Amino acid sequence: MAHVIIMPKQGQSVESCIVSEFKKKVGDSVKVGDVLFGYETDKATFEEESQVEGTVLAIFWADGDEIPVLQNVMVIGEPGESFAEFAPSKAASDAAAGPSEASGTSDQEGAAGGVGGTGRDAEGVPFAAVENKGAPVSPRARRLAVQKGVNPEQVAGSGPGGRIIERDVLAAAAAQGPLTGLAKARMAEGGVVSPGFGSGLAGAVKGSDLKVWEPAHTDGLPGEGTDYELVKLSNMRKLIARSMYNSLQNSAQLTHMLGADARQVQALRKKAKKALEEGRLDVNITINDFVCFAVIKALQAFPNVNSHCLGDAMRLFSCVNLGLAVDTERGLMVPAVAHADQMDIVTLSRSLKKVADDSKKGSINPDLLSPEAASFTVSNLGGFGVEWFTPIINLPQSGILGVGTIVPRPKLVDGEYKFVPYMALSFTYDHRSIDGGEATRFLKKVAEEIENLDLDF
Amino acid sequence: MPKSLYIDPNEVLRPKEHEIKFPEIPVMQYAKTVKEELKEGNFTPEDLKHIYRDMAVIREFETMLNLVKTTGAYNGVAYNNPGPAHLSAGQEAAAVGMAYNLTTDDFIFGSHRSHGEILAKGLRSIEILPEAELKKVMEEFWGGATLAVAGKDYKGGNTKELGIRFLVYGAIAEIFARTTGFNKGLGGSMHTFFTPFGIYPNNAIVGGSGSIAVGAALYKKVNRKKGIVVANLGDGAMARGPVLEGMTFASMDQYKTLWEGDMKGGLPILISVMDNQYAMGGQTRGETMGYTYPARLGAGFNPEAWHAERVDGYNPLAVIDAFRRKKALLEKKEGPALIDVVTYRYSGHSPSDQSSYRTKEEMEAWQAEDCILGYGRKLVEAGVATQEELDAIQAYVKDVIFEMYKLAIDETLSPRMDLVKDNELLGEMMFSNSSVDSLGDAKPEVNHPMEENPRVKQIAGKTRFYLDKDGKPVSSMKMYNFRDGVFEAIVDRFYKDSTLVAYGEENREWGGAFAVYRGLTEALPYHRLFNSPIAEAAIIGTAIGYAMCGGRVIPEIMYCDFLGCCGDEIFNQLPKWQAMSGNILKMPVVVRVSVGSKYGAQHSQDWTSLCTHIPGLKVVFPVTPYDAKGLMNSALQGTDPVIFFESQRLYGVGEQFHEGGVPEGYYEIPLGEPDVKREGKDVTFLTIGATLYRALKAADELKEKYGLEAEVIDARTLVPFNYEKVIASVKKTGRIIIAGDASARGSYLNDLAANITELCFDYLDAAPAVLGSRNWITPSHELEEAFFPQPGWFLDAIHEKMMPLPGYVPVSNQTAAQQILRAKKGI
Repeated sequence: MAHVIIMPKQGQSVESCIVSEFKKKVGDSVKVGDVLFGYETDKATFEEESQVEGTVLAIFWADGDEIPVLQNVMVIGEPGESFAEFAPSKAASDAAAGPSEASGTSDQEGAAGGVGGTGRDAEGVPFAAVENKGAPVSPRARRLAVQKGVNPEQVAGSGPGGRIIERDVLAAAAAQGPLTGLAKARMAEGGVVSPGFGSGLAGAVKGSDLKVWEPAHTDGLPGEGTDYELVKLSNMRKLIARSMYNSLQNSAQLTHMLGADARQVQALRKKAKKALEEGRLDVNITINDFVCFAVIKALQAFPNVNSHCLGDAMRLFSCVNLGLAVDTERGLMVPAVAHADQMDIVTLSRSLKKVADDSKKGSINPDLLSPEAASFTVSNLGGFGVEWFTPIINLPQSGILGVGTIVPRPKLVDGEYKFVPYMALSFTYDHRSIDGGEATRFLKKVAEEIENLDLDF
Repeated sequence: MPKSLYIDPNEVLRPKEHEIKFPEIPVMQYAKTVKEELKEGNFTPEDLKHIYRDMAVIREFETMLNLVKTTGAYNGVAYNNPGPAHLSAGQEAAAVGMAYNLTTDDFIFGSHRSHGEILAKGLRSIEILPEAELKKVMEEFWGGATLAVAGKDYKGGNTKELGIRFLVYGAIAEIFARTTGFNKGLGGSMHTFFTPFGIYPNNAIVGGSGSIAVGAALYKKVNRKKGIVVANLGDGAMARGPVLEGMTFASMDQYKTLWEGDMKGGLPILISVMDNQYAMGGQTRGETMGYTYPARLGAGFNPEAWHAERVDGYNPLAVIDAFRRKKALLEKKEGPALIDVVTYRYSGHSPSDQSSYRTKEEMEAWQAEDCILGYGRKLVEAGVATQEELDAIQAYVKDVIFEMYKLAIDETLSPRMDLVKDNELLGEMMFSNSSVDSLGDAKPEVNHPMEENPRVKQIAGKTRFYLDKDGKPVSSMKMYNFRDGVFEAIVDRFYKDSTLVAYGEENREWGGAFAVYRGLTEALPYHRLFNSPIAEAAIIGTAIGYAMCGGRVIPEIMYCDFLGCCGDEIFNQLPKWQAMSGNILKMPVVVRVSVGSKYGAQHSQDWTSLCTHIPGLKVVFPVTPYDAKGLMNSALQGTDPVIFFESQRLYGVGEQFHEGGVPEGYYEIPLGEPDVKREGKDVTFLTIGATLYRALKAADELKEKYGLEAEVIDARTLVPFNYEKVIASVKKTGRIIIAGDASARGSYLNDLAANITELCFDYLDAAPAVLGSRNWITPSHELEEAFFPQPGWFLDAIHEKMMPLPGYVPVSNQTAAQQILRAKKGI
């Protein structure tokens, strides 16, 4: 009997994956454990191993295709078995080609306008947010869109002539968590997009979860100009672009800057290096690790800063889940270290290193990359010589600390100006949840923690 | 086709007489002088002077209207009358002579040119009615509103004089569209009438009264009412089909050969041809007709030649003489009869007529013979009156008419309806909406108790649901079917209402072409159920007359396609009279119309839409036995005209929807309520007629193959129609297909679709789709699948117009492009 290989679902937020390479072609025989194809999400790479033995009867996609998760990819069976019935429709590939934002196609069955039991899911009626400006919308669909908080312009129409009809809105609504009243109202106004599942109960999407919807603008543009080349953004790039843009559009950000005396940190770093060299430590504790440690301590005294701002509410954390901005070949990633406040400096250092390495390798658990996963983020550009900058908050977090390079600055020591190493701290906070005074006190606290860090290891 | 009438080949092939002999038709044979009449005691001098007065009233009345139309004033008092005025100056002797022998039990029907006839009949009624009775009539009419104005300044204390004022005022006020007019101003010049004086509707359709009056005569006969019926028609009207059909209906042999007991004998109908020589501008004698004299027509209809006679309509006494003799014949049940009254109109067809078709000499020659002047001279010669007396009569008449004219144009005393302010007023008058068990007091005549009727006994043994107790289908012989439902309602009413009659083609022994009436022949005497000639205009026209007089009637049109044959009766007469009479008349007519299939282009059309288009008709189309019985009961309980459509596809169907089957007892289903035959949530099918069953098949397929649930609603009634259930359904489903067997273009399906679009716009997921038949001739039965909406068409419409169904391949072309292309080609 023919076996259908589907695109696995990697993490809650993954909607589609790109096949990096098919390792088998039609006609090849396959053993259990053979790698069939490699694929990647926005942030990670995987390999699909065969669970069955047989011959590859069909491959429905080509290298580089973006395939919705749970979609049929290939068929393995005995030569002569039929496989055509497993072929995904063109609609599916069209859907996959659109920019993706909303999540979770697996929940669509039964919600799709009552056409249950006929493989509507497999028909791939697009649930993804797509650009659909100007498409006809039935009066009923428009009305329902308001009720459900769906922006019809982000729904692909399956009606005659591409009309957006009731089932399309229902499907889009099912692809997202229930919306709070505020979220509905804001969705109805348009211009924002639901993240799929939000920060409320049972994934309810709150007003603060909404992101500015930024459609692609390149449709219809010529591919080449005389002085430029038009390069489509990678999915990863689009994701980063959208989340950065959303952050600035949807919050009230400003940055305070303060220098911290770095002598103590530098001393600790020297000590750690020596311990590593002498084999007393098996981990290289970096300046950044010490700074993060200090930040964690400061955060514990400032619950408003260690928070998510949800627009109409604050999510105050009883622990510190620390996000770390990591520069990778694919672009910026911000993996989180959960319960970082429970860690000693060595454990923290190890954890930070692991998530950074995993991110760079692409093997990071996608769930750790969610902005929801961290309660506060640290971004360190000190290694590159940057002194001050204005980091962008990873919404819905309330703040981000940018750590700059250490420069010698004059300081009055015992009645005499001396050059002392100073670390540049740039704290961007969301003025919706934190006022300037509190932000100043927090930043000062971070500086004090850095200056007075006293650690045994 | 009664078996009692043996068609003997020996007699038919070898008749005793070898030529058809026509009786002689007298022409202008009256020759008496006034003195001779007086001597014979036919008149008193007072009678003769009243005849003069009545003619003078008519002349002045028409003169007044003519002056108002042509000069905008009468006696210096200005008024603008924008409505019609078809005047009859010159014809006074004919009108007064016609009315002289008639009582208020005798009814007259008229034409567009009947002011003279209603005035003559009214004046004669005032003359002969006992004062108390006359007073009562006037006081009760419109709650005394008309009398209050007409008698406002009258101090004479003479009831008859008051009566003349009442009559003249009521007529002028009606012509000028005042609420104090005889029909609240809704009838106007061409329709005004006053039933308490036995004046029944005039008719703006030439010859319209030709069949309606025959129906009134049928009512008088069947319900044993006193009096005869006179149809005043013009010489031009004798060309009209409905007149000839009415005459055919009135000539039927069966009144004398088959009707029994006191019902045996001719109809009391007298056709009075007001032969004024012109059919608008066409000259009937010598140009547009070939009869030379209209009296000749009688010879074509029965061996008695309708006792036809041509009389001098310029001598009132000659006319009176003829009407007296014909009335006596009719009372002896020897009717029908026809009088051809020679007359001449001075005025044109209407005031805009320049009389370009006749010479001045001709008009002057007739004016020299003027009937009023001539009659006046005879009275003076005979010593009945002096010229001074006659002049005094003229002066009195002018006074009365001028006074009534001034009252009728007084905006305060004689107001018009304010239909702009009271926007629903006329709407509320379109239907009477009464509920009446029986319109007669008599005991209904039947041949045996209902339970002894063979059909009733047969139905008693039937299962009243399509499945038996064990849920197995009942055989067609044992299953209570659609025709049983219609039959039960009708037989019940025949046993309740003595006035109820039913007729049409093949209604009696055959039991109706589709056997609905099987068993009724046994139950009913001839005069309650009979075969009519193949004359649809007469079938409906007579039913209108029958109902106008107060009887309930079920005429039958065997095929919907034949509605065209009675187009005027269905579209112009039946729907109009309740409102046009100011709600004085009711119209309890249930027209059974069978919608065919299988028989091609002229026997398979659904023309329900034509009926829904005409205001004033209720339109019903049940398709299940339960609905048929309940809706027929409601139709028969009401007093409004109902076009009751039945599908020939469905006469044999059993009840599949109503739990417990069709109840044995009486029940009513209110007209206007659509019925949800199957509940669903994804799409609504609203069907008219037999399409319901194809919609249910489509719903089954939709459910099985696509998991979609259709809500199926049977419209049941098209007019009135309650949208509430449909709105609720569309709010739920968001999609609706409206389907029926009528050709789609211009059909009621589109009307429903347009209204639903407006009423449910915000709830619609797609525009309502209309599935009607193609805009073709109906092809042969074997090809009908391409013509009438099929189950697959429903899925096609959903797929193409609402929501594409995965993997679905359409069977018909329902695309927008095709829609445009077909419209472009007019198909």
